[in-house]
Amino acid sequence: MNIDLRMENISIFFGEFQALSDVSIDVKSGEIHGLLGENGAGKSTLMNILAGIYPPSSGRIIIDGETVHGMTVSRAADLGIRFIHQELSVIEDLRVYENLFLSKELTLKNGFLDKKEMAARSAELMRKMNLDINVGDYIRDLDTSRKQLVEIAKAIMFEARLIIMDEPTTSLTNKEIEVLFDLMRNLKKSGVSMIYISHKMPELFSVCDKYTVLRDGRFIQSGEFRTIDEHGMTELMVGRSVVESERSAVTRTDEVVFEVKGLSCGDFFRDVSFSLYKGEVLALTGLFGDGRAELSEALFGARKVTSGTIKKSGAHLPIHDIGSVMRAGVGMVPRSRKERSIFPDLSILNNASMAYLAKNRGAFFADRRDDQRRFGEMVKLMNVRYDHEDNFITSLSGGNQQKVVLARWLETDADIYILDNPTQGIDVGAKFEVYKLINLLTSGGKSVIIFSSEFPEIYRVCDRCVVMYKGVINAVLDRNELTEIKMMYYSTGANLEAGTRE
Amino acid sequence: MSEQIEKKPFNALEHIKYLYTNHTYIFSFILLLVIMLFINHDYLSFTSLSTLLMQSTIKGILALGMTFVIISGMIDLSIGSNIAITAGLGIVLLNRSGSITLMFVFCVAFSVFLTAVIGLFVTKGRIAPFVVTLATMSIFRSIIVQLGQGGPFNVASSILPRFRVIAAGSVMKVPNMAIAFIVLTVIMTVISTQTKFGRYIYAIGSNETASRLSGINVNRVKVEIFMLMGAMIGVTSFLFASRMTSVTAANAGMSYEMDAIAAAIIGGTSFSGGRGRILGTFFGALSLQLIENLLVAAKIPPFLTGLVKGTIILAAILLQSKKESKKA
Repeated sequence: MNIDLRMENISIFFGEFQALSDVSIDVKSGEIHGLLGENGAGKSTLMNILAGIYPPSSGRIIIDGETVHGMTVSRAADLGIRFIHQELSVIEDLRVYENLFLSKELTLKNGFLDKKEMAARSAELMRKMNLDINVGDYIRDLDTSRKQLVEIAKAIMFEARLIIMDEPTTSLTNKEIEVLFDLMRNLKKSGVSMIYISHKMPELFSVCDKYTVLRDGRFIQSGEFRTIDEHGMTELMVGRSVVESERSAVTRTDEVVFEVKGLSCGDFFRDVSFSLYKGEVLALTGLFGDGRAELSEALFGARKVTSGTIKKSGAHLPIHDIGSVMRAGVGMVPRSRKERSIFPDLSILNNASMAYLAKNRGAFFADRRDDQRRFGEMVKLMNVRYDHEDNFITSLSGGNQQKVVLARWLETDADIYILDNPTQGIDVGAKFEVYKLINLLTSGGKSVIIFSSEFPEIYRVCDRCVVMYKGVINAVLDRNELTEIKMMYYSTGANLEAGTRE
Repeated sequence: MSEQIEKKPFNALEHIKYLYTNHTYIFSFILLLVIMLFINHDYLSFTSLSTLLMQSTIKGILALGMTFVIISGMIDLSIGSNIAITAGLGIVLLNRSGSITLMFVFCVAFSVFLTAVIGLFVTKGRIAPFVVTLATMSIFRSIIVQLGQGGPFNVASSILPRFRVIAAGSVMKVPNMAIAFIVLTVIMTVISTQTKFGRYIYAIGSNETASRLSGINVNRVKVEIFMLMGAMIGVTSFLFASRMTSVTAANAGMSYEMDAIAAAIIGGTSFSGGRGRILGTFFGALSLQLIENLLVAAKIPPFLTGLVKGTIILAAILLQSKKESKKA
C-alpha cells in the first residue's frame, strides 16, 4: 500500500508559455498533502504530469526510489495512482456499480457480466464508506453530491496507493464532507497517501498534514500545517499582503428596491418573502436541499413559480421571461460557471458582450467596436488578465473566466445584481476582487443579492443574511448578530427540530 | 497589445500556419484543384470555374442554410422533400398564373412556412430536430407524390422559354446561378458575423443553458434559424424548377440534405455545434462539386463515385478533428 513519491525540478512548456518551472514536491506514505495556489498557479498541471497526462519538459518523477521514465496514464494507474478530477467523470446512464467497475468488469466463466458479484462488492464498499447509496441506482437519479461520492468510491474501489483529489468537496454538504474526511483518515491509517487540492482553508487545515504552495508556476514553500495559520497561508498563495476588503462603508438606504412576496415553487420553496434595500447586500444561505438554487432562478425569471410576486421599485417584475426581467434592471451571475455561463466556442469578447446584446433589443447589427469599448471599461474595472480578446474564453483561468462573466452582467448596467455562488472554484485573488466589486456596486447605489454557503464570504460582504431551511426562510440575521454558529443553527433547522420534539 | 503586434516581424510561414489551422477548407479546395489540373491542364479558366460555381449553386445555397442549423446544434433532414413539394407546387402556380415573380414569392414563403412549423415542433413540442425532420421528410414527400399522382410537374410550354432563362442565363458571362450563390454567401456571411442574430446562433450551439440565462430568447432564435433555412430552400426550389423545368415528385431533391451537410462539414462546421463559417461552407460546396467533376474527368466508374466521395469527405473531417484535439 505504501508509496514514496518525489517529483523533482519539474518544468513544462506549452508552446512558449512556461506553466511550471523547477517545481518539487514530496509525498510520504500515509500522508495527506495539501496542494495550494491560486488558479493558474500550476497545481492541476503538476498533477496532470504525475498522472501521465502531460510529459514534463524536464525533471523527474521518483516513486519508491526509482525514477519513472515516460509516465503514461495507464502506467500511473498500474502504480496505484488515482485521480479524482474536479469535473465529474461518472457516466449518467449507467448504474452505480457499473460505474465503479467501468473497464474493469467482472465476468462469469461464460463471458457474461457477473452483475451479482459486482453489485455485492460495490455495496460492501458503500457500507465501508458509510454511504447510503443504492448501488443499483442510475447515476442520473443521484444528486450532485452523491455523484461526487461515487466518483471518490471509484478511485478507491481498486487498490490505490496515492489518490489525487482536485476540489472534491465543491458540491458536498458539510455532513458529507465529514464522511469524506473520516474516509480519508481511515485510508491514511492503512498507508494510502493523498494529494488534496482545495481553496477552502478550514478543510485543508482540518484534514491535511503537509502543504506545498505554488504561485505562477513556481514552488513557494512546503511545510507542516500545524506550523502555519490561515492568514500566513493566504499570503503565501497570493504573494502580497491581502488587502482586507471587508464591508467597509454601510451604503444601505431605507428605500426598498426589490420586494419578494409569498413566492412558492412546487416542492422546492414555499412562501418566500423578503425585501432588498437600495445599496444593500443581502446574502441568502442554507444547506443542500434548502431550495436556494431554485429560488435564485425564480428571482431572475428562469424558473416558473406556482405563486407569489416580485416588485422592483414598486412595479411588478415580469418573472415569466428572462429578457423582460433583464430590461427591468435585474442581472444574474449564475452558479456553475461552466454549465451555465461559459460559451466555450466563443471568444472572450463575444462571451462578455452576450447579455448586453440580448438586453438591448432593436438593433439588428452587432457593433464590434462598441463591444470592445464596453469590454475595455470592464477590464479596467476588474483587472482581467488575458492575452487577446479574440482568443477562446477557455484559454483563461477559472478566476478570469468568472471576471468575464461578471463583466457580461455589469455591461447590462442593472440596478439589482443576483450573484449565485460567484466565487465558486476561483482563486483567492479573484475572490477578493469579486468582494471589492460588490462594495463598488453598492456604493454606486446598486443592490446585490448573493447566494453563498461559505460563512467567511457572507460575513465579509453582506448587510443582512437570509437563512433558508428546507424551502422556507428560517431566519433573517442582521450583520451585527451574524455568527457562524447562528448561521449553522438556523440552516440546519435546529430551532425547528427542538420545537417538534416538545 | 497593439505594440506587440507592431514589433513582431512579418512572418509569412506563421501567417500560412494561422490560415491553415483556421481556414483548412481553402487548402483542401486548392489541393483538389491541383489534382484536377493534373488531369485537365486547362481547368484554371474562367469558363470552367464559373461552371463549377454554377454546378455547386443548388446544393451550395442549401448548405448555407444548413450551416446555421448545424452551428446551433440542430439538423434538418427534410430539405430534399421540402424542395420537391415547394418546387412542385410552385410549378403548378406558375402554370396557372403565368407569373414568375409570384412563383418566386410563393416558393420562399411556402418553404419558410414549412420550416417554421418544424421549428415550432422543435421548440414548443420539445422534440429533437433529427426526429421532427425525419418525420417531415417523409410527410412532405408523400404529399407531393400524392398530388402529382407519382408523375412529374412540368412547366407549361408557353412559359418555358421565359422561365428557363433564369437558371440558364448569365450576366456578363457569369451564370445567374453563380451570382445567386455568391450574393447569398455574402448575405449569410454578414448575418453570421455582423448581427446579433448571428452571435446567438453560435451561442446556442455552444451552450444553450448559458444562452437562455444570458437573456437570449432561445426558442425564437431556433425558429428563426429554421425559417432562414426555409428561405434558402425556397430560393433553391425556384432555381431547381427553372433548371430542370420538370419536377418528378418521387425523387426530386432526394438526398440533397446529405450533400448540404457534407458541404458544411467539409467547410469546417463542427457537428457538435458552436463552430463554423459561411465562407467555409462556400468552399465546402465547391470542393464537393469539384470531387464529382474530378471523378468524371478521371473516368472513374460511375458506380464507384460514392465510394471515392465518401472517402474524401472522411479524410477532410479527419484533418479537422485532428486539429481540434491538438488545440485542447
